[in-house]
Amino acid sequence: MLPSWVAEPAPLARAPKGRRSLFLERALRRLADFAANVVFAECVARRPGYLQTLDARVKLISLVGLLAAAAFLRHIPPLWLLGGFVVAAALCSQVGAAELFNRAWWFLPGIFVLVAMPAVFNIITPGEPIVVLLRREASASLGPLVIPNEITVTRQGVASATLVVTRMAVGVLVAVTLTLTTRWQDLLRAVYTDLSAPFVLILAMTYRYIFVMLRFVEDMYVAKRARTVLPTSASAQRRWVGSRIAALFLRSRHLSEQVYLAMLARGYRGSPRTLTAGKFGRGEAAWAFICCALIVSALVADRLLVANLPW
Amino acid sequence: MVTPTFKLEGVDYRYPDGRVGLSRTSAEVAEGESLVILGANASGKTTLVRLLGGLIHPTSGSVEAFGTRLTEEALQHGELSQIFRQRVGVLFQDTDAMLFNPTVYDEIAFGPLQLDLSEEEVRGRVAELLTLFDLRSVSDKPPHQLSGGERRKVALAALLAVSPEVLLLDEPTSDLDPRSQRWFVELARDLRQMGKTLVTMTHDLHIADEIADRILVLDEQHRLAAEGAPQQILTDLELLLSVNLVHEHSHVHDGIVHVHPHSHLHLHDHD
Repeated sequence: MLPSWVAEPAPLARAPKGRRSLFLERALRRLADFAANVVFAECVARRPGYLQTLDARVKLISLVGLLAAAAFLRHIPPLWLLGGFVVAAALCSQVGAAELFNRAWWFLPGIFVLVAMPAVFNIITPGEPIVVLLRREASASLGPLVIPNEITVTRQGVASATLVVTRMAVGVLVAVTLTLTTRWQDLLRAVYTDLSAPFVLILAMTYRYIFVMLRFVEDMYVAKRARTVLPTSASAQRRWVGSRIAALFLRSRHLSEQVYLAMLARGYRGSPRTLTAGKFGRGEAAWAFICCALIVSALVADRLLVANLPW
Repeated sequence: MVTPTFKLEGVDYRYPDGRVGLSRTSAEVAEGESLVILGANASGKTTLVRLLGGLIHPTSGSVEAFGTRLTEEALQHGELSQIFRQRVGVLFQDTDAMLFNPTVYDEIAFGPLQLDLSEEEVRGRVAELLTLFDLRSVSDKPPHQLSGGERRKVALAALLAVSPEVLLLDEPTSDLDPRSQRWFVELARDLRQMGKTLVTMTHDLHIADEIADRILVLDEQHRLAAEGAPQQILTDLELLLSVNLVHEHSHVHDGIVHVHPHSHLHLHDHD
């Protein structure tokens, strides 16, 4: 027999005072954004573009080659040559310019401030001053660092900061283009060898179960929200998050035990075997040739520019 | 005398935290039969699947498969492990645990690859199963993008890819809609006709009625409560009520309150 109060309407809760804490919502929205980004990346990799049709191993080797070349180049024009080529390849592969630059370059301002900006000053890079920022009577020392009496922006400092930022921008552009146009499982299969097999399997399973766990987190949050009438305080939310982290840990441990049993049941004996990856056709040969030609041209151009440098 | 496929003698199983999984259970599974094990939630069905699958081992008593005692040491021996895994396939209740590969294609290919079949043969098997299970359109999708029913189908396809002689199925219809349940019943009958041994754990009396040659019933004390032909078990209302597989249900006929056991099987007549 149900108690009588079940038949009565619930009393209205008092309206909350003060601002509602959005800490939890924000954290979960970021998790959801992460999942959406990953799914989005898979969508790009499934489009019928040029780079998407290439074998993942060839793309991986070309990625390493282009990144190594970018690291060795010491002038901006050859770096832009590499970057321009990669952007052109991306555009031919149904990757929109906005999609590409949003993913590749959103962090560049931060990198500039943290890594490159200190290099423009004569404290880090001595040289020909362009702008004088501060002039003092005498120089000072701060531990091993000697602060000169004039703090200036130097031409050499600007050049080296620009080079660092450009190198990073091109490197990230190369990495994002090639990973955006390659599905995660193809990438993993490309690095699969007898030696790397256990690591690749762990990576593949980690990727697979991130989504299972995200769904679990989302379900817990939705269930809580469905039964929450009044907004809770930030400290209560933190307590709740702490307890859910513990629940998530227990769930992941239980799941890992079950996965291991499922692997055993299907014949896993400690050394996984997977299907070997793809093909090396004309498309792959053309891509490999173009990449090699571009890397060599960029390195030669870089050498020629060194010879003509004023400093 | 024919050696049974499985033979359990006085099996007890306790989980590390002390919970009882199975208690004093003895049973046999004959080659080529379709055995259904009925039981309410937490009656020990999953424990029994794992014991038969050689994934856990009894606290006391013994489990034999094909005339060989299943022990941890015996299954660690490479050759026996491979032969046993080739002959016995396990369908897990939780498809998230069973589908651990990046794509549906890789999932179905995983089992045969571990059995050292050639890549050509593996690809051939995967292609046939994708067609048979109507999974071609999702073959390169990751499991998290599939519906519950699709995941269950992929898990079944992955199981069949190694062509086991014995299929241990833990709640195989739990995520399936009515059409897919019908599809599963027909698949089970086809497998049975091909001479496969099926051991199906379920609390769905409909499925039991359609696919079982013989039924074992587990009670809520994790013991074997009954064993017999489907007609005998499924019409024993007292037994089904006592093991929580049907429940008392009251409704009104012509103004008279009427109380009887509730099940979707035909268990009583209205006068």
